[in-house]
Formats: sequence, structure tokens, C-alpha cells
Amino acid sequence: MAYGAAAAHDEHEHHPTGWKRWVYSTNHKDIGTMYIVLSMIAALVGGLMSWYIRLELADPGLQFIHDTQFYNVLVTAHGFIMVFFVVMPAMIGGFGNWFVPLMIGAPDMAFPRMNNISFWLTAAGFVLLILSALVGDGPGTGWTVYPPLSSIAYHPGPSVDFGILALHVAGAGSILGAINFIVTIFNMRAPGMTMHRMPLFVWSILVTAFLLLLALPVLAGALTMLLTDRNFGTHFYEVAGGGDPLLWQHLFWFFGHPEVYIIILPAFGIISQIVSTFSKKPIFGYLGMAYAMMAIGVVGFVVWAHHMFTTGIGVNTRAYFTVATLIIAVPTGIKIFSWLATMWGGSIDFKAPMLYAMGFIWLFVLGGVTGVVLANAGIDLSFHDTYYVVAHFHYVMAIAAIFAMFGAWYYWIGKMSGRQYPEGLAKLQFWVFFVGVNVLFFPQHFLGLAGMPRRIPDYPDVYAGWNMVSSIGAAITMVGTLMFFYVVFHTLMAGKKAAANPWGAGATTLEWTVPSPAPFHTHEEMPVIGGGGHAHGGHGQVKPAE
Amino acid sequence: MSIRDMIRRLQLSMPIVCAALIGFAGTAAAEGALGEARPWQMYYQDAFSPVMKEIHEFHALLLVIITGIVLLVLGILAYIIVRFNSRRNPVPSKTAHNTLLEVAWTIVPVIILVVIAIPSLKLLYNSGRTPAYDMTLKVTGHQWYWSYNYPDHGDITFDSIPIPEADLKPGQPRLLSVDNPVVVPVGATVQVLVNSDDVIHNWAVPSLGLKKDATPGRLNETWFRADVPGVFYGMCSELCGVNHYFMPIEVHALSKTDFDAWVTKAKEQFASNSRSPVNMATSGAIAAR
Amino acid sequence: MSSRRRNLNALVLSGVAAAMLGVSFWSPTLYRLFCQGTGYEGTPKTENVVHSTQTSAAQVTVRFDANVNSALPWRFQPAQREVHLRLGEETLIHYTAANLSDQPITGTATFNVVPDKAGVYFSKLECFCFTEQTLAPGQEVSMPVVFYVDPGLAEDPTTRDVSTITLSYTFYRPDIEPKQPDNTAAIAGTRAVQAGG
Repeated sequence: MAYGAAAAHDEHEHHPTGWKRWVYSTNHKDIGTMYIVLSMIAALVGGLMSWYIRLELADPGLQFIHDTQFYNVLVTAHGFIMVFFVVMPAMIGGFGNWFVPLMIGAPDMAFPRMNNISFWLTAAGFVLLILSALVGDGPGTGWTVYPPLSSIAYHPGPSVDFGILALHVAGAGSILGAINFIVTIFNMRAPGMTMHRMPLFVWSILVTAFLLLLALPVLAGALTMLLTDRNFGTHFYEVAGGGDPLLWQHLFWFFGHPEVYIIILPAFGIISQIVSTFSKKPIFGYLGMAYAMMAIGVVGFVVWAHHMFTTGIGVNTRAYFTVATLIIAVPTGIKIFSWLATMWGGSIDFKAPMLYAMGFIWLFVLGGVTGVVLANAGIDLSFHDTYYVVAHFHYVMAIAAIFAMFGAWYYWIGKMSGRQYPEGLAKLQFWVFFVGVNVLFFPQHFLGLAGMPRRIPDYPDVYAGWNMVSSIGAAITMVGTLMFFYVVFHTLMAGKKAAANPWGAGATTLEWTVPSPAPFHTHEEMPVIGGGGHAHGGHGQVKPAE
Repeated sequence: MSIRDMIRRLQLSMPIVCAALIGFAGTAAAEGALGEARPWQMYYQDAFSPVMKEIHEFHALLLVIITGIVLLVLGILAYIIVRFNSRRNPVPSKTAHNTLLEVAWTIVPVIILVVIAIPSLKLLYNSGRTPAYDMTLKVTGHQWYWSYNYPDHGDITFDSIPIPEADLKPGQPRLLSVDNPVVVPVGATVQVLVNSDDVIHNWAVPSLGLKKDATPGRLNETWFRADVPGVFYGMCSELCGVNHYFMPIEVHALSKTDFDAWVTKAKEQFASNSRSPVNMATSGAIAAR
Repeated sequence: MSSRRRNLNALVLSGVAAAMLGVSFWSPTLYRLFCQGTGYEGTPKTENVVHSTQTSAAQVTVRFDANVNSALPWRFQPAQREVHLRLGEETLIHYTAANLSDQPITGTATFNVVPDKAGVYFSKLECFCFTEQTLAPGQEVSMPVVFYVDPGLAEDPTTRDVSTITLSYTFYRPDIEPKQPDNTAAIAGTRAVQAGG
């Protein structure tokens, strides 16, 4: 295409090279790549921590970790790293940055320099979090950081303060990123791409960005109050000074619950893209899908106290939060059924991205239904702080969200790098990882039912059996993860050249109209969106002008 | 001897057997019911309180529903794999809407949620509202042990220290046994007041359907009724520092007579702990030092 | 697409983020006002309490609970286990506190009521809530609480079943950090075990 050649010519003039290309980058693709690399490094660090935890928990007694403060620090760091430095950077910073501008026909994000600082703030936050574990005794508070345990009396030393700083810095990066995405999506869509023609992945990032904008400042406020309680003599959370530890819990979970939707909504968007492409059909019920995501986002803000059912809040309060939490199952169910209906009647190729998408659908349902169980305050009293909760959130986050990330990587790596992944090896990696995570997390439901609490380095001997099985699952998962890194290496070093559109007729979004690898600058002239989409009310499918 | 006679014999010998078995609380580990997990357990511990029994029933309902949903989705996916793979179905359909279907899969989940919400709220109000109670047990969490106080029984106060592995006697499970367990009468409705002296802990006994945060500066209330005599174990259920995993809860439920005997012994044994005579029946002036 | 419109967008969104930050800083005040205004979660009424209600025939039992934080070397207990009174009837009860140490020590108390739904009907006219009390070494004082339980308790369908209310106080030492086996000592202990074992 002429426009492609012109773009290639321009590249040689403006394209920075060397370390400055990356450190000073204002290019959404390069920044997206850096986020994905950061996420992979963090995944190895957070993963090593979890394997160490499972190594200790394989048998009753303390075999490898005798310093139980260190165990608590591992649990804390593992949680923070996975949530803030693996899943969020990969899906929002990584795939969001790469593909939102491409999908809406924009040449880059609205604020490319702010995009750069968002990335470096996130990277700095990761370093600060690691430091928090290395200074003093480390923060042994869990990612929930409840005072008084996190207050200066019970965690003297700088560890918790480093952790607070890490979250402030990373949070700032995310808030700026959220502003960037919202402004980009509202203002920079190509002519003809109405909101109701946007791909669902773009919708998912838009809703996620609003959740980030509204929820992260509340975390920042709560963290600042903890910081001043610890260091400047305030008493927001200290009873002796007239404060209340429960205030922290309300503030934290007011952020914390939307946070889990921040994690899963981009995954929903990715799954919609993959399912539509490999079924060779438009997504069933596009409008319902978009509105379901918005409903999940909105309702997600008014259910936070289901994390606080045993704190002594009143019975009527608990009844409200039970009902509100149950309601979220409705829009979520709509999405699951819509994906199934998309596949129904399709002509499906079961390539690696589609395997991950189908795995996501089933395992997200499995994890989601235990969430429906936990939503009920009356029965939550038997599950709160047990391994049943650990099983639930790992199914929806560590399995489902990670499946979406793997699926996205396989789906888009050809576009990002110009090289395609090896299909056979990828399918094998899927199966090893699938078996691993299920052996790892399914038995944890049994442990929770049987009464095993969470965040413990040693347990009564009766819980030994399923703990051993779970640890074996962790080992298999580790193999599956290492296989993935091998696939990455193999793809980037020796993968076959990827076509602009390796997926055929089902790939209808704009990123498949640019070459692979996508040139440094794309959409320098905005495509004009016309034809097809309008009569059907928009499926996120566009046909760029020839 | 007929079966009838054998049962008769068994019934008659029961009181003698039980009397022999029931010693002073803290010595016999496995008398009557046992509220503890079993190896390779895949389900709840047995229920020995009305709240836990109701939880079992509600969970049974939930399990049927969620298993159905998971199997339904699996079945649909399996069918899709078989029927709509690209070889079997080379031409994809263009269907992207079906109003009836979309309405159905909105309405049906709502109905299922209502079916869940009704027994759910019933359970919540039964467990969350303390009924008329026979006695009060005051529980205080510390790093890293529990202490107990009986304001209705002469202010008996004692610490319940976890027993280190080296000091365990046979029959005492590791990480679950304490030197002074909580003792309550069988069949008594107990109001439990929970608070903490330092960080947030959580007092939990799964087989009795108990779990309540122990928060400093705040009194939380819960309740239970042990329906059978026995020993019931629990573990602290809120991260509270380095020994969070080793501050267990041990509850013994005794018959009324045995409980009264324990009260008498405990008043003597723990006399030096008593904060003061709120109960006029006990002597003991405020020992100002 | 214009950069002015984009900048305006960004400004508005930053304002939203700043507003949420402001709300979270304002939350302690909001929290306190809401709890005290509605008696939510067991907060008894202590401000602007004017006793003008008549008494009713219905009775309620009020029991008393006391806690002392272990950093405060005081003995603190209720002078009576419980009282029976009619709704609306004003009652005076006492707690006694004694400084068991050889230094003058200041303590301050927090309180709540269970069941928490009764909080809105539990009105304290005079109490030692949140005023600092300083006791000389060995000094013992009697601290009065004057309260009544509003007859609304019997009329409100959600609280009609309440027959017993427990009032709980906890005394703290506000001037120093609580002193007990904090993590540092315990961590040193477990690390010693690891080093030695």
C-alpha cells in the first residue's frame, strides 16, 4: 500500500534508536512492549515467591522457612507483584497501549509523553516494592495491609513505608494512564468509528480506565493516612487516638473490589476479540456485551464490604452487600452466554489463542460460581480467611486472567514482532499449564471447606494430603510457565514470518490491516470507517477505505 | 441374644461409659464429638451447632446449583468443539442476535439468584442475630494466644496458651491444642463477646459455625450452642503477625453437671487472674497495690 | 481531535481523580458523623442528647463490659454486672479504674454497644468517653455513666427483639505506642531459632 511505503520512508527520518528509543519513548507500541517485558520479569519474581510458598506448604511443619515473618513477607509481596506488576501492566499497559490506538485508527495515544512517565512510574513502583521486602523485616501484612498490624507499633522500621511509597508511585502511573486511555478513546477514533462500532477490547479498556480513575485515588488517600499514622503522629486508624482500624478496611476495599474488575475487564475484552476471530463470526449481542461491562464496573463500586463480613458490621448491612454482590452475576452471565453463542454456529479453528479463550470461559465460570457462594454473608462465615477464598480468587485471577494474557500474547505476537509462534509447542504449553493450575488450585477448595486458614506457613497435620497435591500442581505449573518462556524465546529468535493477518476472515479489527510487525508509525492518515457495520448496530468490525 | 437386647444393653451401659470417659476438661482429648478435620477431607467438618447445621444445608443447595452451572458450560463447550469445528462446519453462521435468548439468559440467572437469596438471608439473620442467651463468654485476642473471661461465673479469667510440639501428649493434635481450653455447657446458648488487645485477630471454630474478628477498641458479638458434648478446634483467622498460624482455639462442651464442677475448680485454679468481684457472690476485695 | 479538547478532557479527568482523593481524606469525618448521627454499627448517641422522653413499661437489661489495653497498667472494671431498667428511664452506673503503677498515667476510653442495631437508641448523657483521665500512682476512681435506652427500641421492628444490651469500654494509653510483644522481638526470636536450629 502506498501509505505503508510512505510510512516506512518516514520511519528512517524520525525513528530514534539505541537506549534513548526506549527510555525516552513516546511511541505506544514501544511503551506497550516495555510494559509486557516488565510484566514478564515481575511474573518470574512473583512466581518464584509462590513456588517457594508451595514448597514450604507441601508438608506440615516448617522445613524451608523458619522465619515466619519472611513467610508473611513472601505472601504479601507475591500478592502485590501479581496484581500490580504482572496482570495490570500486561493487559492495560501492554496490550492496551499496543492495540487501542491501532484498533480505533489513531496514530498514537493522546498524551505520548505522559504515556512514557506512566510506564517508568510503574517500573519504579516495582523496584520500590522489591526494596520494601529487602529492608528491615519486610512488610508481613498481606497485600491488604490492615492496621494495627501495619501500624508503626507492630511493623516498626521502613518496610511498610517503602511499600506505601511503591503503591503511591505505581498508582500515580496507573491514574495517568487511565486519563490517557479515556481521552484517546473519546477523542481520537477514526471518522466513522462511533462508540458503538469500537471493538470490545477498546470498550473493556475504557471501562477499566474509569474504574482506575475513581478507585486508585481512594487507595492513595488511605495509604497516605497510614503513612502519616506511622510517621507523623496522626490517628486515623489508631483506637487510642480516636481512630478506627475499620476505616482502613472500608477505604481499602472500596478500592480493592473495583481493582479486581480492573484486572478482569481487559481480559473480557481480549476474550471477545479472540472468540470472534477464531469462530469467524461477530460477537453475539455486541451492545449487551458493552453494557454488561459498564454494569459490572458500576455495581463493582457498591459491593466492597463483602470482604468485611466478619468484622462486626451489622446484619442489615451484610444483607445489603450480599444482595448487591449477587447481582453482579447477572451481567457476568450475559457475557459468558454471549461468548458461547458467538461460538455456536461458528467455524472454529482451535489454535492456541482459542484454546486459552475456551479455557478462560470454563475456568472463569468455575471460579465465578465459588464467588457466588462467598457472596452470601451467612455462609461466608464458614469460608472467610480459609483456602476456599484463596481457591476462588486464584481461579478467577491466576487462572482465568492469566489465560487471557497468554491468549492475547499468542493472538498478537505476530503483529507485535513480525514472527509467529510455533503452533504445536504452544498447544502443548497450554495443556501443561492447564493441568498444572487445576491440580494446584482445585484441591484448595477442599482445604478451605475443611477449615484450613490462609496465610499460614504451617498447618495441622490433617491438611497434609491436599497440600501435597496442590504443591505438585505448582511444580507442573512452573514447568508450563518455563515452557511459555521457551516459546517466547523460540518465537522471537526463530519464528516464521507473520502475515499482516494470520487469522483469516475472522480477524476484522484494524490492527490486522497494518503490516506485521506493525511499523513504528501507523495510521498516520486516519482510516475512514464505512460500510458494513452500521446496519447491524456495530460489531466492532470495520472495513477501512481501500 | 437378640438385636433388641444388645441395643438395650448398650443403652444401659452408656451413662457408665460416659461417666468414665468424662474427666476434667483438658485431659481427655476425644470425648464425645470431635470438631476437627480428617485427612484428605473434601467437605465441611461435622456440624455441632444449629448455625453450622444450617450452613451445611444451604451449602448443599448451592453446591447443586453451581455444579449444574459448571457442567452446563462444560457441556456446551464440548458440543461446540465437536459440532462447530472448521472441518465439520466450514461456513460460519452470521447470527449475532436473538432477543428471546438474550432475555432468557438474563431472567433465568435472576431467578436462580432469588432462589439463592431467600435461604441465604434466612441463614444470615439466624447466625447474625444473637438469640436469648444463657451465658456470656468474653474472648480477647493477643499476639499470639487467646484469653477468656466468664463474667457470669464469678469472673473466671484465664489465658489459653498453645502447646508447643515438644510438650504435646498423645491425642493432642499439633498446632491445635492449648493448655486451658474454653469450657461451656452442652445445650447452653452462649453469647460470645470478642475483642483484641493488640492487632486484629479472628476467633473461629468451624464445627460450631463461629468466625468473628477480634478488633482492638471494638466489641463484636456472636453466639453459638454446642448441641453435643465434645471437643471443637479452631484457628485464628486473621493475619496477626509471625505466630498467626499457632494461636489455636479449643472448646470443650460438657454436660451441665460436669460444667458446674469445672466452674468450681476453675474459680479456684484461676483465682489470681480474676480482675475483681463484679459478682457479689465471690469475695475478694479490690486488691489495691 | 483538537489538542485543546484533549487537554480539557485530561483536566476534567484529573479533577475527578483529585475529587476522589479528597473524598478519601474526608472519609474519617464522614464516617464519624454518619455513625454518630445514625447510631450505625453500635455507636451510641453522646452528642446533643436531650432527655425528654417518657418512660415506658417495656424493660431492658444492660450489661457492662470493660477492657484495658495491656500498655495501660490500670485495673478497670464495671462496678455492676448489669442493670434492669425501663425504656426511657435514666440510670447512673459506675466503672472503677485504678492506677496500679507508681507513675501518674493518663488513659482514654473508647466504647461501643452490642447488638449494634441498638446503638441508635442508647443515649449517654454523661460519661467519660474520650476525655483523658489522669490517675496518680495507686489512685482509684469511680467513673459515672448516665444513660437511658430510648423507648423507640421497642417500637422499631428491627430492634423490638432486643432484650439485652452490652455497653463496652476499652481504656487505652494515648501518649505512648502500645507496648507488647511486637513483631520485632518475635522476629528476632524466630530468626534465632532458624540460626540455631
